[in-house]
Amino acid sequence: MRLLNRFLARLRNASTGSRNDQRLREELDQHIALQIEENLRAGMPPAEARRQAILKLGAVQPLRESYHAEEGLPFVETLLADLRYATRMLRKSPGFTIVAIATLALGIGANAAIFTLLNAIMLRNLPVADPKSLVRLGNDNSCCVGMGMRDNGDYSLFTTASYQYFRDNLPEFDSLAAIQAGFAYRPVAARRDDSDQPARAVMGEFVSGNYFRTLGLSAPAGRLLVDRDDTSDAPFTAVMSYETWKTVYNGDPSIIGSTFRINTRSVTVVGIAPAGFYGDRMLTTPPEFYLPIASMPAIANVSYVYNSDSQWLYIIGRLKPGIDKAQLQQKVTTLLHQQLATTPRYSSQEQKTQLKKARVILTRGGGGIQAMQEDYNSHLLLLMAASGLVLLIACANIANLLLVRGVARKTEMSVRTALGAARGRIVRQLLTESVLLSALGGLAGLAVAYAGTRMLLALAFPGARNMPIHASPSLEVLAFAFGLSLFTGILFGIAPAWMASRSEPADALRSGARSTASGASILQRSLVVFQAALSLVLLVGAGLFAQSLSKLQHINLRLDASNRSIIHIDPQTAGYLPSQVGDLYRTITDRLHSIPGVEKVGISSYTPMEDNNDQWSVMVQGKPDPHRSASVIRVSPEYFDSVGTRVLAGRNIGLEDTPSSTTVAVVNKTFVKDFFKPGESPIGQHFGGPKHVNDFQIVGVVDDTAYTDARDDDHPMFFAALMQREASDTDPIDKDTSLYSKAIVLATDRPVPDMEELARRTLSAINPNLSIVKFQTFAAQIHDQFTEDRLLARLTMLFGALALLLAALGLYGVTSYTVVRRTPEIGIRMALGAEKASVIRMVMRSAMLQALVGLILGAPIAYFCIRLIKSQLYLISSVGLGVMSGSIAVLLAAAVIAGAIPARRAASINPAQTLRTE
Amino acid sequence: MKKADVQQGTLALMVLKTLDVLGPLHGWGIARRIEQISGDLLSVNQGTLYPVLLRLEQEGAVASDWGASENNRRARFYRLTRAGRRQLQSETQDWQQTADIMARFLNATEESLS
Repeated sequence: MRLLNRFLARLRNASTGSRNDQRLREELDQHIALQIEENLRAGMPPAEARRQAILKLGAVQPLRESYHAEEGLPFVETLLADLRYATRMLRKSPGFTIVAIATLALGIGANAAIFTLLNAIMLRNLPVADPKSLVRLGNDNSCCVGMGMRDNGDYSLFTTASYQYFRDNLPEFDSLAAIQAGFAYRPVAARRDDSDQPARAVMGEFVSGNYFRTLGLSAPAGRLLVDRDDTSDAPFTAVMSYETWKTVYNGDPSIIGSTFRINTRSVTVVGIAPAGFYGDRMLTTPPEFYLPIASMPAIANVSYVYNSDSQWLYIIGRLKPGIDKAQLQQKVTTLLHQQLATTPRYSSQEQKTQLKKARVILTRGGGGIQAMQEDYNSHLLLLMAASGLVLLIACANIANLLLVRGVARKTEMSVRTALGAARGRIVRQLLTESVLLSALGGLAGLAVAYAGTRMLLALAFPGARNMPIHASPSLEVLAFAFGLSLFTGILFGIAPAWMASRSEPADALRSGARSTASGASILQRSLVVFQAALSLVLLVGAGLFAQSLSKLQHINLRLDASNRSIIHIDPQTAGYLPSQVGDLYRTITDRLHSIPGVEKVGISSYTPMEDNNDQWSVMVQGKPDPHRSASVIRVSPEYFDSVGTRVLAGRNIGLEDTPSSTTVAVVNKTFVKDFFKPGESPIGQHFGGPKHVNDFQIVGVVDDTAYTDARDDDHPMFFAALMQREASDTDPIDKDTSLYSKAIVLATDRPVPDMEELARRTLSAINPNLSIVKFQTFAAQIHDQFTEDRLLARLTMLFGALALLLAALGLYGVTSYTVVRRTPEIGIRMALGAEKASVIRMVMRSAMLQALVGLILGAPIAYFCIRLIKSQLYLISSVGLGVMSGSIAVLLAAAVIAGAIPARRAASINPAQTLRTE
Repeated sequence: MKKADVQQGTLALMVLKTLDVLGPLHGWGIARRIEQISGDLLSVNQGTLYPVLLRLEQEGAVASDWGASENNRRARFYRLTRAGRRQLQSETQDWQQTADIMARFLNATEESLS
């Protein structure tokens, strides 16, 4: 109670600014007066009486201070006083202040930029109600349509039947929603019904009717999907994303209830998703439409929605409070076993025993599907570490600057100490200066962070549309920047403050101390060594990433990308039946050939370096089942020429391969290596799925062109004709969605600048619904695959260069300082006959020594760090001699330059002049 | 550091007791009384009394007001409040207890510990 009273009184005093100075003065006067009277009564003479009275009272100044310490908030008041003083000091040396603030702004800003990304991608929850109670069934992000069990038995992709079984048998969940796993690979064509705009290829996600209810969202306009929309006889409905509504349709209220053509089907847009909602995962292109799963077979024209074997759904649900997760996981696994046992794949007893391995692991659902996070996790941490190192180097620089300032202010500190300042008080005041400096640096750093984040987003996610990451600093970023500034200020300020507050007042106040000063202190030189070591580590890192990128870009992809374009279309969404596409492909090939300059037109399921893949289990007739799979693509006769793949043996797919002739396939070199013995000729042999080994007859062998990704080690592939179906496939043709080939490759004899427009016109002339989903030159498509690697290489090089610059500045600063301090000594030496060369040698030796020690310390650290970044490099497992020697050379060169400038200044010292100024 | 704390605590208690016994008094009077009784305390550095008085006033243990001193000068008089009286009682009790315990311990060295 008393403490509270005291604190309140202090607060009151501080806020009203009242000081009891007056009161104390008066009381002291009274006290002295009364004492004087007593002294007079005791017989002292008046002067003596007064003197004794004053002596008895005691020292006034400390009294005033301890009196004042009882009122007001001394901590706050001294802090404010320190701040005012610090501001004055910083203003007096604008050069130092600007350099320091700029350095700090760069360092803190870089860290804040990367933290913005880290926070938005890794740490943020979905913008939904109560993310903590969301649970995901599954722990893996494998995509997109699968069958059977994975090697480890974990299930994360589910069939529609499994989902329904879970939904109906898990009362522990408030609601359980299913979401399409692979919508990012299956754009939809969307067009407003009454407009003449062509259809846009956009992201559309198919979800269960209770999706929005599970996430706890409400519509800002119209309504969201409900269970009723997800039934087989419901009219087609969709929800539009807020971003799309605002940016593409200008928030037009008539959108709600209007009809859209999604993949040529009529769909009513019933409402808008909440602002800021970007779906259940972080993507460069979030969904623009949400549609109920029941409408998917008709709209997306796929066959796997209700197939009992096709796994294509992720499942997320909202858990009721108080449920035991371990028990629930067990129950979900049991339910899965039960449901799978009813499917044809696990009908036999032997197959049912395989089911024992199957299990579902429950994971946190609040962060959504963490596919992007998996990809970028290690990159972001690496960048965070690198920017942290740069900040450390910057701090070392500023610490050195402060040490120098401390020496210059030695007189000031000595006077303070002589006047009675406690050491802690001086340290506190100097620390306030440091923290103020770094706070200003942090503030300026926010601007750097904003620019840096925008640059990072542009580099990392080119072609992103409405990606839900904003460069403007959020509250967490501001808190991070503030905390980092505080920490930085204390970090680089504590040592200089400690050193500056240590002073022998008598010593320093003695002017003109003529001594052989030792130059920069050990601390200063250690800081430079520290900087050099860290710079080496960053330079080596940059070198490694540059090397990795170079290796990747020089991989022989075994294709020809010159004068070639890739056009992506979607006959499936344009409303074609599989029985109709044969004619379509012929028409497309003919019409495109008629464009001047076009030499080859190839049509295929997908193209090289597109990050797309389709895999089947295959085995060769007459050989044991190797339990391997091969990638499969349908191609037209001109395809291999159009991408530049060489035919090595046998023949190409040709016009003679029609739906009625033998089903043929061309295989690649790796296929031959994996499935046949060396020297064996594959031509004429048959292969197929484990149950139909007779399906395909091999007629040719082609070279190994890279398909999914440059890194991918060659894997076996086979190429089938566009319209031929496997001999064993007896399903009606219109159910065979594999006949939809979605890529056209154009090879021209010269660069055609408006190829896109020409192609678009040609295709819409064939069918206005045949819109171009994506158009890119082949070179651009390949270029895109290296975005991540390019990003890392560029950023690490940027950080390495920054570190080198800061370290060089640090070395330069310390060497200059040494020269200045030793000027009298150098003057004496030169007067005694030392040559310029020996002076230069002396200065350079000290500078290079610091650099060398730094190198010796930094090299083992660099070697060690490779372990941490190995996973992000291509085919690099240790620091090569080239990279290490290159980094060392660059560092030494910088050190030489940094040391040479002050060395030359030292050599041009005029001995007579220096001795005269003593 | 510690010594000053103890001093302040005991000084505050002495101030309260003085005010309790002598009634409202000005700063100099309190100082004189404490000097008389304690002998060496406050014979010098009498000024240290005033921060203590300010603290006591802020805690609410004493209240102050201007009045006229013996020689008709204006002086600030301090008096004990009800809260101050309670504080005095409880601290007096604490000191008595401490003194008793210490006395017992210091006397125990003569007796044998069985």
